[in-house]
Amino acid sequence: MIEARQLYKLYRMGDSVVRALDGVDFTVNEGEFVSITGASGSGKSTLMHILGCLDRPTRGVYQFRGQTLNTMGDRQLARVRNKYIGFVFQTFNLINRTLAVDNVAIPLVYARQTATRKAAMAALEKVGLSHRARHRPGELSGGERQRVAIARAIVNDPALILADEPTGNLDTQTGGQIMEIFRRLNAAGTTIILVTHEMEVAVQAQRIIRMRDGRIVTDEMLNEQRRSALRAEVMVVG
Amino acid sequence: MFFLRICLMAGRSLQANLMRSILACLGVIIGVAAVVSAMAILEGSSRDVISKIETLGADQVFVANGTTQRQGGRAVARMSLTPEDATALAELPSVKAAVPESVAQAQVKYFEKNQSVQLLATNEHYTQVNDYKTIQGRVLTANDVQSGRKYCVLGFKVAQKLFGETPAVGMRVRIEGMGFDVIGVMEKKGFLGARDVDRQVIIPVSTGLERLFGTEYVQMITVQARDSNNLEGVMQEVKRCLRREHNIRAGKTDDFQVITREQVTSQVNDMIRIFAIVLYSIAGISLVVGGIGIMNIMLVSVTERTREIGVRMAVGARRLDILVQFLIEASVISVLGGALGVLLGFAFTDLLENITQILKTYMTTWGIAWALGMAIFTGIVSGIYPAIRASRLDPVEALRYE
Repeated sequence: MIEARQLYKLYRMGDSVVRALDGVDFTVNEGEFVSITGASGSGKSTLMHILGCLDRPTRGVYQFRGQTLNTMGDRQLARVRNKYIGFVFQTFNLINRTLAVDNVAIPLVYARQTATRKAAMAALEKVGLSHRARHRPGELSGGERQRVAIARAIVNDPALILADEPTGNLDTQTGGQIMEIFRRLNAAGTTIILVTHEMEVAVQAQRIIRMRDGRIVTDEMLNEQRRSALRAEVMVVG
Repeated sequence: MFFLRICLMAGRSLQANLMRSILACLGVIIGVAAVVSAMAILEGSSRDVISKIETLGADQVFVANGTTQRQGGRAVARMSLTPEDATALAELPSVKAAVPESVAQAQVKYFEKNQSVQLLATNEHYTQVNDYKTIQGRVLTANDVQSGRKYCVLGFKVAQKLFGETPAVGMRVRIEGMGFDVIGVMEKKGFLGARDVDRQVIIPVSTGLERLFGTEYVQMITVQARDSNNLEGVMQEVKRCLRREHNIRAGKTDDFQVITREQVTSQVNDMIRIFAIVLYSIAGISLVVGGIGIMNIMLVSVTERTREIGVRMAVGARRLDILVQFLIEASVISVLGGALGVLLGFAFTDLLENITQILKTYMTTWGIAWALGMAIFTGIVSGIYPAIRASRLDPVEALRYE
């Protein structure tokens, strides 16, 4: 589903050039659950922005569902984001003055759909939060807010969910619940790419990509043995 | 549908910052109220003046004193018209009647009752030319005027104030200390020209001109034509006659002016137009200030909601969607402000009318629609720049904004 060939993202910082992405190659198939991990500044966020069609690479080719995206205009990219991609952020990014159900409905409004409340309720049902639909984000706990945000990400039934540190602002238990929702969505066929610097979270995916200095350093499928090894690695370092 | 949703979103975000939204509206409210009031005052006073002018006969031309004499760079009235001019004009073949008129404020006394009136010195033709009749007694006659009798005819309200229900004819009143016999009381008439004739007292022009007005000249002569289709010819005849009477040699300018009702109307309209430019400029400036207020608030709003804009873009809002959303928000402010401004304008003009008692106002639906249109226009114009800024945000930057 995703084909990235020699992606570069360069920023000019005064006299020097920062290589946020320095030749990234990888492929993600439909139905995969991939985590991208690395220290801050490793380029994982930049990569996620490009995969999410929020940004364009300086060089290289990015193909999404067979379409080359780095040549598309803003308008077409907005349409791709709206139809095929759902975002989940670390800080939830809900609109505080608006009810949970209306937050969930926002992508549908931009898709020019009618009967948006009904679809939004269905999405809230999937994350087990339909009983909180008529509350404002300020009246919800962190875990509940993140579930509203996930409902917003899945309301358009996207092919890909991009999650940027989705558990970063939550305690371990709540974070676990969120990860459980992602696993369930993945089991139902949605491709998930999770960006995190927490190895504990990253190892819950089927495949882990580790980045450093804008390059992919390792890209491996995980089995139980490897998972335990990576967890142990974190324990030792910690 | 999409449009409606965007409107609802705009309403919600304005509601969330209620105080700020009210402040943003305030400029437009005041601006629109100013425009609406200016229009109501202009329309009202122009209707008032025009309707008063319309009480003048269409078959009349008016002769006024000249304004050619200059004192310190300022044109002043050059008194030249006399009661004798009126007599001469009346003898012209195309002229039916000529009426000299001088008006001054005066005190009329009947025992302890004291009344402030407009004193009109004129001749016997005044009442006839204006189709103005008595309800008691009689009007001035040629004989009264020629022999300079101390007779007066009271306007309807003057008689009512001084005598109430008792007949006034035969009574003696004092005008500025001079004794006059009341020979008649006029009917209720309202305005003739610019004057409320019910508050007027008529005396023979020969009687009081010098003692009550302190001059041998009259302020104006009204000439009634025999044929109202030949006003131009009458004007020429009147001019020739007066030049002869005043011994003006060929080549010298007139020391009087001859005008028709249409000319008076157009002069008044010119004055109203100047007045309109001044009033509308002030009102327009306050609308511009209102627009700046909206722009200010919208810019703050865009900055504050940078992250929200980023999120909306991430979930699929096109740049145009964001632009439209903020434009509508600005328009909603201006429409609300406009509607409240119209109401405030109504209240203000009502208050003005009640306080001044003379200012007439008139609200037209067309004027209100125009003011509302201006408000919406202001909102859109002042919303454009903030909306463009919002729509040009980079989604990645916007999402990162703290």
